Amino acid sequence: MSHTLILSWVTFIYFGAFVLYLFRMILGGQSWGKLASLAAWTGFAAQTAAILWRWNVSYSLGIGHAPLSNLYESMIFFAWTIMLFHLFIEWRTGSRAFGVFVVPLAFLAMAYASIAPGVNNEIQPLIPALQSNWLTSHVVTCFMGYAGFAFAFGCGLMYFLKTADADKPENSNHFLKRLPTLASLDLMIYQSIALGFVFLTIGIMTGSIWAHYAWGSYWSWDPKETWSLITWIVYAVTLHVQYIKGWRGKRMAALTIVGFTSVLFTYLGVNYLPGLHSYLN
Amino acid sequence: MTNIKTSLRSFFSSIRLTVVLLIVMALLFMVGTFIPQRESAMEFAQRLSPGISSLFHALGLFDVYHSPLYYVLLGLLALNLTVCSLNRLPGSWKLYRTPHFPVPEGLFSKLPPNRVLLTEQNREACLSSLESLLKASYGAIEKDVKGGHVFFSIRKAGLSLFSVYGVHLSILFMIAGSVIGSVFGFEGYVNIGEGETTNLIDSRNGRDIHRLDFSVRCDKFTLETYANGMPKTYRSDLTFLKDGQPIRQGALMVNHPIHVNGYRFYQSSFGSAPGGRAVLNYSKGKGQEEKVAVSVGDRFDLKEGGAHVEILRIEGNLMKFGPGVKLDIASPQGRHIQFWVLQHIDEIAEMYPELLTQFPLFDPALFKPYRFFLKEIEQQYYTGLQVVRDPGVPLVALGAFLMVTGLILRHFMPHRRIWVRVDAAGRQTRISLAGRSRHMAALDRELDLLGRRIQEKGIV
Repeated sequence: MSHTLILSWVTFIYFGAFVLYLFRMILGGQSWGKLASLAAWTGFAAQTAAILWRWNVSYSLGIGHAPLSNLYESMIFFAWTIMLFHLFIEWRTGSRAFGVFVVPLAFLAMAYASIAPGVNNEIQPLIPALQSNWLTSHVVTCFMGYAGFAFAFGCGLMYFLKTADADKPENSNHFLKRLPTLASLDLMIYQSIALGFVFLTIGIMTGSIWAHYAWGSYWSWDPKETWSLITWIVYAVTLHVQYIKGWRGKRMAALTIVGFTSVLFTYLGVNYLPGLHSYLN
Repeated sequence: MTNIKTSLRSFFSSIRLTVVLLIVMALLFMVGTFIPQRESAMEFAQRLSPGISSLFHALGLFDVYHSPLYYVLLGLLALNLTVCSLNRLPGSWKLYRTPHFPVPEGLFSKLPPNRVLLTEQNREACLSSLESLLKASYGAIEKDVKGGHVFFSIRKAGLSLFSVYGVHLSILFMIAGSVIGSVFGFEGYVNIGEGETTNLIDSRNGRDIHRLDFSVRCDKFTLETYANGMPKTYRSDLTFLKDGQPIRQGALMVNHPIHVNGYRFYQSSFGSAPGGRAVLNYSKGKGQEEKVAVSVGDRFDLKEGGAHVEILRIEGNLMKFGPGVKLDIASPQGRHIQFWVLQHIDEIAEMYPELLTQFPLFDPALFKPYRFFLKEIEQQYYTGLQVVRDPGVPLVALGAFLMVTGLILRHFMPHRRIWVRVDAAGRQTRISLAGRSRHMAALDRELDLLGRRIQEKGIV
């Protein structure tokens, strides 16, 4: 029994939660939804325990640090923040309609962490550049931001499905009917992007402060820095389009997809460009 | 004239312009991450056809983040933000100063049922307990009586109306700070061997050398590794000297820069270079080997014979033959002989049997009857320091602080206005709650909370 074993179980639990949310959408009824939430909470609790365990193990190895230092650990944490965001919204709004598009993102992150080639799940010591108190605050805030954008992305997909439904109400099925209304999806997109944006901004600021101490400049146009700024700009635009007539709704939903693509490139794609942030060398 | 002025103003205050500028900037940055920039651009440019290469060069695509296009975009964005903010400021100020009463028209029509609370208490008792509850919860409240209705008015987070200007101003601060940094700042690199002192720093562009008014000595460089071989610590023990007197001493590590006289020093790289000391052995004929440790410029006398040896050069890799030391030997008769002593001369001579006859320069036994052997060249660490001065940092930091504060204020503490109306509904007393805010969800939460408080107090 180890924390990596728990984490592989969590991957399956999240998949199960996704299937249950899907059943709820297709078959209806309260019980599927309750089971789905139960699975989501169980997985989240187990994942939290596993992350804390891994943290503790690193200290017993004498190289103690928060488990946020490599691709594997950050992927696991990404899944954790997505679930945190999802469960928070579910609790706050009392609606279980978001799970079917958001929980699979957490599942995919977990699955990627365990099966992608070149992802090392061992606890490694920190190289000199990472030995900083800013590591934790930088990574946590960035991923809280990413989680908000992941949630908005899920809502954006729902928005497009729902508009397809609104165009042809006669052959609409149960799944589409059970999606939240366009107005509430629009509101949810705006709010999760606003939350994600505040966190991303703090994430970039903490990263800049760290870079000021580690790399000699608060901004070096390293590809990851640049891409985080591109992502920031995409969401800044998204938050401003509501002031342009007729841009809310479909266009904002489209921007959630553009934005999340940029998030994924910032997180993963950039590793294939040369730079200071690269996980791959 | 006024027409042009108005249309210019409306052009620069347009939010569409902001969106277009931001998108063009994002695209430019993307290009910058795919085309190698600055130091690494040269090699890439040579692989392109000359036409494309010079086009890219003209557009500044090899240094996107310092290109004229980038500065033009920054300037336009700054202008756009300024005009846009100035245009909207009076509206926000008016909203901030709006009197609490009269209540906005239609505010209390079509209220959802949960915003209307009914009580059997008489109106006076209800009013006094409600007023004290509101005062306790919100502090300053305003009261108005009109046509049999009593109104209370509350405002929260009025400052939030101005948060957007804080965020826009923060961007201007950051742009200004970055421009100040790139105009008045300095970035350079210097390698200092252990025991060496310098005050000359190569600037980043490599074109000039910057002379500090103090100097830096590297006393020691330490590299520590973990058990698995990963690097653990890079550390330079430095002494800063002015007029030969130490002014500062400290251990420089990654993540822990040292500030001296307005410059920041960073542990940037390290390396090891030969050229410290060489260990030479020599023997006379079949005699016993003698051992000497030497540096460049050292002189010593050979035993038995009185010849005088001077070390001319110590090379880590001479013509790909490996480590070598060049000697100048002066015989007692005043004759000078110069030759190289290569560490791997035996292997080399085996590979190139003709070498020693064709090039006696490489014969370690050229000064007969002596023969020299190079045992090793000691490696000497050097530390690579990055030296930075950026007077724009405080302005950028102020901008960052302002931006985060502004965003939190805007998104988490939105401006809310709440009105509570008390009137009679038949024999009952009716309390109605309503409000206005840009942020409806936050307003709803606030009103829910107020409704719960009224119920908990036993007012209804």
